[in-house]
Amino acid sequence: MFRRLPLPNFNYQTRLRLLLLPYASGIVVLVLIPAIISFGLAFFHYDGLSPPRWAGNLNFILAYTDELFNLSLQNSLALIILPIPLRVFGAFLVARLMQRNGRLINWLRATIYLPSAIPGAAYALAWLWIFNPLYGPLNLLLQSIGLVPPAWLVDPGWAKPALILMSFWQIGEGFLVSFAALQDMPPQLEDAAKIDGAGTWGILRHITLPLVAPILLLLTFRDAILSFQESFTYILLMTNGGPYYSTYTLPLFVYEQGFDLLQFGVASAALWVMYAVTGLIVVFLYIIARQWNIGTTDETFVL
Amino acid sequence: MRRLSFSNGGVFLARLLVALLFLLPLLWMISTALYPAGVPLPTSIQLWPDQPTLANFSRVAELIPIGRYTLNSLVVAVLGVGLTLLTGSWAGLGMARLPQAGQRRWVVISLAVLMVPGIALWSTRFFIYEQLGWIDSLLALIAPAWMGTSPFYVLMFYRAFRRIPAAMYDAARLDGTGVLQLWWHVALPIARPTLVGVGVLAFLFYWGDFISPLLYISNPDFFTLPVALQLFQQLSRSEWALLMAAATWATFVPLMLFILVQPYFARVSDPGKRQKKRAGADRVATSHGTGR
Repeated sequence: MFRRLPLPNFNYQTRLRLLLLPYASGIVVLVLIPAIISFGLAFFHYDGLSPPRWAGNLNFILAYTDELFNLSLQNSLALIILPIPLRVFGAFLVARLMQRNGRLINWLRATIYLPSAIPGAAYALAWLWIFNPLYGPLNLLLQSIGLVPPAWLVDPGWAKPALILMSFWQIGEGFLVSFAALQDMPPQLEDAAKIDGAGTWGILRHITLPLVAPILLLLTFRDAILSFQESFTYILLMTNGGPYYSTYTLPLFVYEQGFDLLQFGVASAALWVMYAVTGLIVVFLYIIARQWNIGTTDETFVL
Repeated sequence: MRRLSFSNGGVFLARLLVALLFLLPLLWMISTALYPAGVPLPTSIQLWPDQPTLANFSRVAELIPIGRYTLNSLVVAVLGVGLTLLTGSWAGLGMARLPQAGQRRWVVISLAVLMVPGIALWSTRFFIYEQLGWIDSLLALIAPAWMGTSPFYVLMFYRAFRRIPAAMYDAARLDGTGVLQLWWHVALPIARPTLVGVGVLAFLFYWGDFISPLLYISNPDFFTLPVALQLFQQLSRSEWALLMAAATWATFVPLMLFILVQPYFARVSDPGKRQKKRAGADRVATSHGTGR
């Protein structure tokens, strides 16, 4: 196979570099150009049909004075700031629990990842049923142990906690990455601490956690950015932003402005906030990666 | 602080409980899908229906052309995975064989792209697909495979290929092996666990992708299962047994795939100190009958 190369007579290094061509061109067409266009589109009126017209900063005024925009931003932050660190820490704890070998260990590890393998739309419908106030299994369970269960997605006060709760079952990636990081740690460290009389929690707090902290931090950022998009699927299928806009988030605002109202300029102006937040995160990541020397130099490179 | 030192049995029990907790949503979904239609749903907790039935699945197939949607999903997933493995492993190999500075640059580029929020690309990708004539075709759904779907997968390949000793590449080169031969005969066979890992992750991505068909497909002929679920939800609101049957159907293929590659997953998640763990991992793989 591949005995005759169809390529002209480049030297070996150049031909190796050519392997990067699809990836590089894909990034340009699918990420770089769209990102630049949407960055600039904020200054234009554009409905996707007639040619764009200059709008100055009107789109920004339209977006940022919109009450729904502010609400969507607050809701997005509320769904990210508290839950994401908890999710990552939860993933770490479960990874720690599943770390050493034992009975059925591969099946148990696979089970932790399993909910993350369920297609997003199916997962949303499943939880829509689980959260059903009358017949949903969750509330039947809570009733059977004598609690008065909330109405979850129907109650403006409980819709956000419900969305957060269901996200705790989808920590597969965090689990795998934490797990790999823990496996990279020399087991002698923990064993030595144990001999010195340190308890399970002491070892966890003073030895294990500091060693994997940089990776947990990277995971937190990645999770924060990804969850914007993931939560969109759930919110669109489960609450559509309701009840009373309590789950109306930034992606929903962008989706409605762009694909419902055909105001792509306003949608892009709203996205500038995301660019700013993402930019900050990237800078922060870079500093952290420098600090801990994560990256290309050593074997702890997991992301 | 009280010292918590579990015995082996205690650890196993704790692991089992956590695993069961993670299974619970899936269990509830499947058990509800098996409820006979027309019978009122139970008002007390019940883990499994008294008379489980598969009738709901055929009822779903009567209401929407689920076969067509499943076929679309399969085509998208298979083509998406195939292309992803090709472009991703090429990029990974190209990166791994660059000089140190070049490697670092590409890792930074990949991480930066990884950080670009998907929402930022929704509408402008729409315009680009429109120019390319990909709107309302399965191409719009497979397009991400052009760049290896996610820089995350490229970095996984890069990481695997970097572990192959440079001497092996050099030896192959001295034998007059071309670049593509090097990729096919040297790099890929050694990185097989990564190949399986990326393949599974990419499959789950394409199979579950809800946003691309939502934004770029309006012709029902090209709907995939995730948007079909949305359609079905609008058709039969609050017919829970039917809805869960449809959701279970969409979950069936990933579930089977998952059980199939489970032994491989154990190895992908264990890329750390291979030398030490290798023996154990191989033993586990063999005990599940997939070791070679």
